[in-house]
Amino acid sequence: MITIRTRKGYDINIAGMPSHDLETLAKPARVALLPEKIPFVKPRLKVKVDDPVKVGSPVFEDKRNSQLIFLSPGGGRIVKIDYGPRRVIKEIVIELDQDEGYETFPVISKARLQGMERKKLVKTIMTGGLWPLFRELPFRDVPNPDIVPPSIIVSLNSREAFQPVPEAYLNDKINLFEFGLKILQKLSETLLISTSSDDVFVQDHLNSYVTHTCKGLYPADDPGVLLYYTKKSPDENKSWYINGQDVLLLAMLFKTGKYPVDRTVVLGGSLAGERKHLQTRMGVPLNHITKERAGDTGTARYIVGGIFKGYTGSKDSYMGFYETSLVLIPEGDEKEFLGFARPGFNKPSRSRAFLSFLNKSSTAIDCNCHGEVRACINCGFCAEVCPVDILPQFTYKNILADEIEEALNHGLLDCVECCLCTYVCPSKIELRNILKEAKKAYFLEQLQS
Amino acid sequence: MKFIQKIFDSKRKHFVESGRFEKFYPLFEAFETFFFIPANVTKNDAHVRDSLDLKRLMSLVIVSLIPPLLFGIYNSGYQSNLASELPVTFAAVFIKGLQIVLPVIIVSYGVGFAWEVLFASIRRHNISEGFLVTGLLFPLTLPPTIPLWQVALGISFGVIFGKEIFGGTGRNFLNPALTGRAFLFFAYPIKMTGDTVWTVVSNVNSSGVDTFSGATPLAVSAVQGTSAFIESLLAKAGFTLPKLFLGLYPGSIGGTSVLMCLMGACFLMFIGIASYRIIIGGVVGVLVAAIPGYIVSLVSENSTVAMLALHPLNHLVMGGFAFGITYMATDPVSAPGMNVSKWIYGFAIGALTVMIRVFNPAFPEGIMLAILFMNLFSPLLDHFEIHLRLKKRVPNV
Repeated sequence: MITIRTRKGYDINIAGMPSHDLETLAKPARVALLPEKIPFVKPRLKVKVDDPVKVGSPVFEDKRNSQLIFLSPGGGRIVKIDYGPRRVIKEIVIELDQDEGYETFPVISKARLQGMERKKLVKTIMTGGLWPLFRELPFRDVPNPDIVPPSIIVSLNSREAFQPVPEAYLNDKINLFEFGLKILQKLSETLLISTSSDDVFVQDHLNSYVTHTCKGLYPADDPGVLLYYTKKSPDENKSWYINGQDVLLLAMLFKTGKYPVDRTVVLGGSLAGERKHLQTRMGVPLNHITKERAGDTGTARYIVGGIFKGYTGSKDSYMGFYETSLVLIPEGDEKEFLGFARPGFNKPSRSRAFLSFLNKSSTAIDCNCHGEVRACINCGFCAEVCPVDILPQFTYKNILADEIEEALNHGLLDCVECCLCTYVCPSKIELRNILKEAKKAYFLEQLQS
Repeated sequence: MKFIQKIFDSKRKHFVESGRFEKFYPLFEAFETFFFIPANVTKNDAHVRDSLDLKRLMSLVIVSLIPPLLFGIYNSGYQSNLASELPVTFAAVFIKGLQIVLPVIIVSYGVGFAWEVLFASIRRHNISEGFLVTGLLFPLTLPPTIPLWQVALGISFGVIFGKEIFGGTGRNFLNPALTGRAFLFFAYPIKMTGDTVWTVVSNVNSSGVDTFSGATPLAVSAVQGTSAFIESLLAKAGFTLPKLFLGLYPGSIGGTSVLMCLMGACFLMFIGIASYRIIIGGVVGVLVAAIPGYIVSLVSENSTVAMLALHPLNHLVMGGFAFGITYMATDPVSAPGMNVSKWIYGFAIGALTVMIRVFNPAFPEGIMLAILFMNLFSPLLDHFEIHLRLKKRVPNV
């Protein structure tokens, strides 16, 4: 086992952390697929409103590769297809039947898996609708199945405060997880399995599988950070990664022959009524998660997928395909009188500019920007936290000056989109967004050529 | 609070689009955000943000400037009353100091702010808080006898040519306050050179003479002569090491007291705004540049440059070095952004300061020119360091 020490990063000490308890939720009335939240995929619908679907029926495919299909997370009837601006498909809502029908997929035992060709295995995963669980670095697109990746990274933890912990989602599923790893081994020769150095559960139960322990602050155990610290040559840049929880889904598909829809999600944040892990399913409505445990949610922002990288939802929206957390924190859209002059004992900050550096207890944080956009003063705070040693203060200027080559040299594509640069910036510049958009533009340009 | 908010809300209509003072929206915005942190919330990325913003950051720099400012007020009044043979009680001295210093600061802020508002209105930018620091740093580098029209001229030059013509805060490559001071230094050398300083004299009986000049410690040291005498020469003029450290002697308003600057430097380094690399690098630079000359002068008595013989510690406490390295050199915009570059930058400022003091009889003080000179080199330093650093990366294209 190799220990990776990351030198930079930052852990926010935020109130409202979830407990490790797991509660199983009842069946929701509706579930949904959110094609809009899956990056780069161009959906082509295969269903209409009022069509009946089973769990695992194809709902849409990717226009770029019709083999890449996305399956229904529920059995019932399509009740709504919601379009956004420019006909982007936002939501496909399925009303669940009392007894859901299931599409059947081939059951593959361990023995059969051993003898399976890679090509056939890939096809099984693709028709089983789970191929999108793999993502390809550095752009985080769904990978091309014909390519053998240099390595597949399985990250079991996330140091982001509100992601499910292995103790909750892996408990009594260790065997299933081991089976999932067998599948991954068929896809790539190198498997990097990483966990946090302080995760006792993983080290107790999966010690023989873990190849790397990550020691450091958020986002030390992001697959991109692991790759940055382990790669020796540029060939490894296009490694794939998959979340620990998603390995279980792969194993379930093979074991049961049904499209797996189980998800362990986290409900947290200072405004969440109860903060814990919840056993539920893909695409559940957010109000199903918060129901009867919501505290004062009138002013809460529903953040799906984590306080840094997540998207803003509402009571009426749904969990996405990849997201596993729901955080409720105050919107914070209130003015603060003479805010800059206050001692700030309770103001969360990485700097020592407020008295909060004396305050070791966790503080409630809201979505206020705490200031206005100003010019970059080259303070370098962003470079101090960047886990992959990019110099965001210089790189973003390269991007704005259209010096994309220079930005690429700076390691733009190593960016793990952790959002820390945006978080710490005292000039409130949307650094990550600028970097991310530049990466995206470069990727799309490459796809066309 | 509520009623202040009401005032802003009622006046807002004049400043927003198609209002009477639409052009001056940045002014309105600056005042409103001074009173209230706006309610704007994060849109898509990083739903949470650090509480630190530029306003807080700049106001902390102002806080760090309070010790030299208060001491500067006291010292100006003290020197004035001393020279005018007026009582030197604390209250009398402080009031006198206020009378001398306050107009300088008010003119600096007023004129500079007017330029800021003008540029911000034309550009439709928001007014940056960086000016709050520039507008206070500039007067502290001036002698107390500076005519107010020169203050206005200096801050105008500093703000316009040191900053705004390059695009405003964040895009200037020179420190605006020092640019303004350098302008005055070369345009009106009699008032500014650092050869002699003036103490405001307000003795009603001696009409006609309203200033009194004395040699600065730097000027005393720069006198050509045999090196063996330099220490005694300084001591004779009353400039002992503790006195220079405490700063109760005539000089520029804010720059005399090393003790006060040290307090400010510690505060700024502790909260992480000023780079300790620059400050420590600067101190090391002074010592490294001053020690060889000192050793040589100990061995041979007949040095041609008397100031070489000056004890290196004297270089640290004399002139504006402490003020410059604490508040001017650490301006993040005009300093390099990379860590090694910061060491080199600080070191070079310290070393150049000594070189200019010792070898250039035209300029008794070197810190201002050293900082401005290194400001010009900081992009180059960054460029090389980034270049070297990128070589170590595994390419990802």
